[in-house]
Amino acid sequence: MENPLHIFELHKIVPLSLFGLDVSLNKAVLVMFLVVGLVALLMTGTCTSGSLVPTKRQSLAEMLVEFLRGMIHETMGPEGMRFFPLIAGLFLFILFGNLLGLIPGSYTVTSQLVVTGVFAMGVYLLSLVVGFQLHGVKFLGILVPPGTPGWLLPLMIPIEMISQLARPVSLAVRLFANMTAGHVILGVLFALTLSGGWMIGWLPFSFTVALYGLEVGIAFIQAYIFTILTCVYMGDAFHPH
Amino acid sequence: MPQFDTHFFSSLIFWEFISFGILCWVLYKFAWPPILNTLEMREQKIRDSLDQAEQNRVASEQRLQEYEAKLKGAAREAEAVVAEAKAKAQRLLEENEQRMRTESQRIQAETTRELERERRKAVQDIQREAADLALVVAERVLGRSLSDDDHRRLAQNALHAVVAGESAGVMTREGS
Repeated sequence: MENPLHIFELHKIVPLSLFGLDVSLNKAVLVMFLVVGLVALLMTGTCTSGSLVPTKRQSLAEMLVEFLRGMIHETMGPEGMRFFPLIAGLFLFILFGNLLGLIPGSYTVTSQLVVTGVFAMGVYLLSLVVGFQLHGVKFLGILVPPGTPGWLLPLMIPIEMISQLARPVSLAVRLFANMTAGHVILGVLFALTLSGGWMIGWLPFSFTVALYGLEVGIAFIQAYIFTILTCVYMGDAFHPH
Repeated sequence: MPQFDTHFFSSLIFWEFISFGILCWVLYKFAWPPILNTLEMREQKIRDSLDQAEQNRVASEQRLQEYEAKLKGAAREAEAVVAEAKAKAQRLLEENEQRMRTESQRIQAETTRELERERRKAVQDIQREAADLALVVAERVLGRSLSDDDHRRLAQNALHAVVAGESAGVMTREGS
């Protein structure tokens, strides 16, 4: 039986180098380009007519915007709307990265820990920058939960620091692990289908089909979770405790 | 795991920054403004429409009250007109009755006077006729020789005629 992890292997397609840095194109990078192209194609030109009575595509785009706007308003408040382009871009990039990865023969960009890690770290650092920018040194107050007695501070502050540092790690690992696990299970089940023959192969195959549907749902859910946690962390920066 | 192969980290991170940057820029430039504008325009339109509807509702309610007040006023006015017309008709009826009564009394009185006048005239006529008859009788008597008995009988007849005429006049007066 083939190694189910081989689907995550990358190979250089176009070797490139920039200032001594290896920036070769590989399958994951090409899929990233595809994601950008697809999202740009779908999202631009939806409202060119500016019609108040929306078309189907416009309705969908408006629904997405309303959904993200609601999310931002709930977590960050109206002032968080200046981060709308970033949050919306993140959501769409992750969602389409997840969904395109489900096409057989494609590659799941979000199954690369380094990709999700860059997003998670970027978002977390941004929340720290915004927090210190808005509140200065007082922003360190997020390390002290409200109502903590003074004698507990030496214990609470290290715990809170660990919890803070765990945020980008958990954010990155959650998405990466979900995508990886889903594809591994799909790969294993499909391998079982092929090796099982016609007699019992239908059983793992039916599981594959069911799991495929589940994976589509997970693609949406994981994109949503990543985005809402980003909003929550940013919200903490806006309103610490 | 292939994902931990560090050979590809640099290219993945580099292209991730580039592609995500491009995506955000394209969306920021071409996708979000029209969508957000449309949403805001629609919100504004809905808010305006609701405001307008509220204004219209208030105005129509006010107009309804005005109309109801006018209707009540018109009903009161109509009642007043009907009452006035009834009163006028009653007054006219009474006036007519009064006039008719007066007229009939006047006609009755005039008729009575006329009758009296006619009666008197008739009495006078009878008296004149009686006198003429007496003269005719006297002429006839004078035309031949009359005995004492003749004189007496003739005078008697004349007197009877006069008395009969007078009693007829009295009866006529009493009958009227």
